[in-house]
Amino acid sequence: MITQTADWFDERLGIAKFTRKSLNKIFPDHWSFMLGEIAMYSFIVLLFTGVFLTLFFVPSSKEIIYHGAYKPLDGHKVSEAYASTLNLSFSVRAGLVMRQMHHWAANVFIAAIVVHVCRIFFTGAFRKPREINWVIGTLLLILAIVNGFLGYSLPDDLISGTGIRIAFSIVLSVPVVGSYLAFFLFGGNFPGDSIIPRFYSLHILIIPALIAGLLGAHLAVMWHQKHTQYKGKGKSERNVVGVAMWPAYALQAGGFFFLTAAVIAILGGLVQINPIWLYGQYIPYKVSYAVQPDWYMGWLDGALRLMPSWEIVGFGHMIPTIFFPAVLLPGLTFTALALWPFIEKKITKDNAEHNLLDNPRDVPWRTSVGVGVLAFYVVLFFASSTDVLANSFQLSLNFVLWGFRILLFVVPPIAAFVAYKVAKEAGSVPGAGRRKRANVILRTAEGAYYTEKTAPRSPQHEEEIAEELPEEVEYHSLHGHSDDDLVTSAAPTGPSGPSGSPSHAGVDVGPLPSGGSGIFRIPRVRRSAMPETGGEQIGGIGDRG
Amino acid sequence: MSTKRRRAAKLPKLKRRVFLPAAVGVAAAGITTLALLPRAGAAQSNNPSNLGNFGYTGSYIYGGTQNKGGGAVTYEKLNPASIPYGKSLFVENCSSCHGSEAQGTTRAPNLQGLGAATIDFWVSTGRMPLADPTVQAVQKPPRFSRSQTLAIDAYVSSLAPGGPAIPNVNLSLASLAEGESLFSTNCAACHTITGAGDALASGVFAPSLMAATSTQAAEAVRTGPGNMPRFGPNTLTDQQVADIVKYVKYLQAPNDRGGIAIGHVGPVTEGFVGIIIGLGTVMLAGLWIGGRAK
Repeated sequence: MITQTADWFDERLGIAKFTRKSLNKIFPDHWSFMLGEIAMYSFIVLLFTGVFLTLFFVPSSKEIIYHGAYKPLDGHKVSEAYASTLNLSFSVRAGLVMRQMHHWAANVFIAAIVVHVCRIFFTGAFRKPREINWVIGTLLLILAIVNGFLGYSLPDDLISGTGIRIAFSIVLSVPVVGSYLAFFLFGGNFPGDSIIPRFYSLHILIIPALIAGLLGAHLAVMWHQKHTQYKGKGKSERNVVGVAMWPAYALQAGGFFFLTAAVIAILGGLVQINPIWLYGQYIPYKVSYAVQPDWYMGWLDGALRLMPSWEIVGFGHMIPTIFFPAVLLPGLTFTALALWPFIEKKITKDNAEHNLLDNPRDVPWRTSVGVGVLAFYVVLFFASSTDVLANSFQLSLNFVLWGFRILLFVVPPIAAFVAYKVAKEAGSVPGAGRRKRANVILRTAEGAYYTEKTAPRSPQHEEEIAEELPEEVEYHSLHGHSDDDLVTSAAPTGPSGPSGSPSHAGVDVGPLPSGGSGIFRIPRVRRSAMPETGGEQIGGIGDRG
Repeated sequence: MSTKRRRAAKLPKLKRRVFLPAAVGVAAAGITTLALLPRAGAAQSNNPSNLGNFGYTGSYIYGGTQNKGGGAVTYEKLNPASIPYGKSLFVENCSSCHGSEAQGTTRAPNLQGLGAATIDFWVSTGRMPLADPTVQAVQKPPRFSRSQTLAIDAYVSSLAPGGPAIPNVNLSLASLAEGESLFSTNCAACHTITGAGDALASGVFAPSLMAATSTQAAEAVRTGPGNMPRFGPNTLTDQQVADIVKYVKYLQAPNDRGGIAIGHVGPVTEGFVGIIIGLGTVMLAGLWIGGRAK
C-alpha cells in the first residue's frame, strides 16, 4: 500500500531519487553544528505560540475602560492592545504560559543566532564558497532583532511604550529626512494610533515571512554546498564524514527539537517574564525608571547611554547626539558583519574553497579581531544596565557610566591582545589538537609508585577496525557483504564506531568509493576543476552542480 | 587489540551517561537559585521583618489620643506626657549632631518646625541615628522601640509648631486602581513602576519600597525625605496619599502570575535567565547528544 502510494507520487514527481539522496545525506556530527538548530527550533516554537497569541490579541490603540480580572487596573482607560494582553495573561486558558513561552523563545532564538554566528566566524566557515549564506545569516539576525523589538512593543505597556518613544526619536535623528521618515513610519506624530496595527502586521506577517523565506534559503544553500567539518582523521576538503540523514541525524535533530522546546516550555511555565500588568498602560507623560529593552537591543541601549551629548551642526542642519549610537553604530555594525567574508578575502588574498574548518587557534589574527569586536559589544551590552548595576552594587550611577565609557575603549584591545597571544600559544604547543594520553601510575612490588607516560596514539592505532557486533555478523551472513563495502555512516558515537547498519538493508547506496576504514567518503566538487556533473558521482549523495 | 578498542569505545558512552544528570542538575540549580533570590532591593532593607509590624499598631499605645477624622488618613495626636522622656532620648542619641534643642549644627540640619511625621520617618526607618552624614541614609533596623520613637517625635514637634503630624492610613478606605494611576504618575519615575528602587545620579538612589509600612510610605509622601520631592496637601489629597500607600503595600506582594518573579527589574534579569539558563541548558543538551572533538 505504502509502496503503491510512493510509486504514484514518484511516477508524477520523480521524487524517489531525491528522497533517496536526501535520506543518505551525511551530516558531520559535532555539538557546535547544532547551535543554528537551536535557533531554528526556537523559531518553530515562536511560530506555534505566536499563532496562539494572535487568536486573542487585539492590535488596536483604541481606548476602552478596563473591567477585567486584574483588579488594580479596574476602571482604567487602556488601549485594546493592552487590555487584550491582560486578558491573555489572566483569563485565557494557558494564555500566560503561551505568552511567556513566546517571549522566552524569542530571547533564546536571538541568543542562539548570536552564538551560531560566533561559531561560524571563529571557525572560518564563512569562507568561499559560503559567503552567500553568511550574508543571508546576517539578514536573519537583523530581522530577528527587529521583529523581537516589534513584538516586545505590541502589548502597549509602560516599559515597551517608552521603547517605542525612543525608537521614534532615533528615526527623527536621521539628518535631513528624519522627520519625514518618522512620520511615514508612525503615521504622524508620536504616539498616534497607527503604531500598534502597523507593528502588528510587520511582526506577525511580513517579517516572519521574510525570516521563513531566508531561513529556507539558508538551509537550501547549506544543503547544496554541504556542511563544513572540523579537521581530523579521515576528513578532507573533498569529503564529508558524519552520520546519515536517516535514521541517525533525523532522530538526533528531532530529539533536539523536543529538548529545545522543553527548555522553553519550562522557562515559560516557571519563570515570569514581562509582567505587563505591573507596568500598566503606556501613557506618554508617565515613565518608569530602569527601562531596558530586551537583551538583544541591549548593546544599542548601552551605546545610547554611553554617548556624550555632542551635537554637531553643519550646513544648517544639526546632527542630534543619538544619531551616532543609534543609527550610525548599528548601520556600521551590520554592514561590516555582512561584508566580513569579503573583507577577510581582501586581507588574506585567499581565493580557495574551504570545507574544512579552522580551529580558532589556527588563525590567531581572525580570532583576535573577533574577540576584540565581541568585547566591544559585550561592554555596550552591559552598559545598558548601568542603573541596575549601580543600584545592585551600591555605586554611583555616574561612576558606573564613566567606568563603562572607559572600559569601552580599554577592554576590546586588551581582549584582542590576550586572544591573539592565547591562540598563538595554543597553536604552537606540540601535539595541539591531538588527544591526550593517560599517565599510568604503577606500583612496584615494594610498594613504591611511579608514573609511566603512554605513547601518543598513532594514526594507525586510531584506524583499527572494531570487533564485529553479533548483529553485524548476522547481517553479513544474510547479505554476503564484507565489511569493506558496507556503509558504515557511523552512529553518533563516532565515524569509526560500528553503526546501526541493518537499517541500510533496503537502501541502495550505489557504487561507493572504498572508504578504507568504513567512512563514507564523498568527494567534493571543486567547481573550477570538475565538470558540471561532477557532484552526481558522489556515492548517490551529492547534489547537482 | 580488539578488546582494547572496545574499552576505548565505551569511555565516551560512560561520559554521556553522567552528562544528562549533570545538565539537568545545572538547570535545576539555576532555577532553585532564582527561587531563593531575595526580592529586588532587599539588600538595602536590612531586615524587613523587624520593620514590618509596629508602624501602624503604635498609634494604639496612646489609646484615645488618636484623631478619629473618619477619612482614609488620620493624624496621630502625640501624648504631651512623653515629652520629657523624648527629650532625654534626644539628648542622648541625637543632640551631638542636631544640637541640644534640635536647632541644628554644622553637621546636621535644624529640626524645629519640621513636624512629627518627618522625625518619625527618619527614626522609625532606622535611618537616624546616622553614622556618616555625607552618604545617603539607608533603611536599617531602628534603634528605638515604637514608644521611644513617638516620645522623640513628641519632644521635637513640641519645640516649634508646624509640619505634618504622623499619618495613619486606613487602607480599607483607599482605592487600589486609583493608587496605581497616581503611583505610575508620581512615583515610578524614580522608584520604578514595580517599586524596586533604582540608582539616580551621583550616588543618590531611590530606595526600594518593599519594606515600607503604611505610615512610613505616607510620611515619605508628605515630608519628602532626602532628595524626594514633598507632596503637600495642595498636590495630593489625604485620600490620594492613602491610595498611593495602598498600591505600595500591594507592590510588596503583587499578583505574581507566571512563575518566579526575577527581581521585578525587567529585561536585565530576563536577559540573563534567557541566555544563561535558557540557551545554556539547550547548549548543554546539544553537547550531550552531539559529537565532540575526536
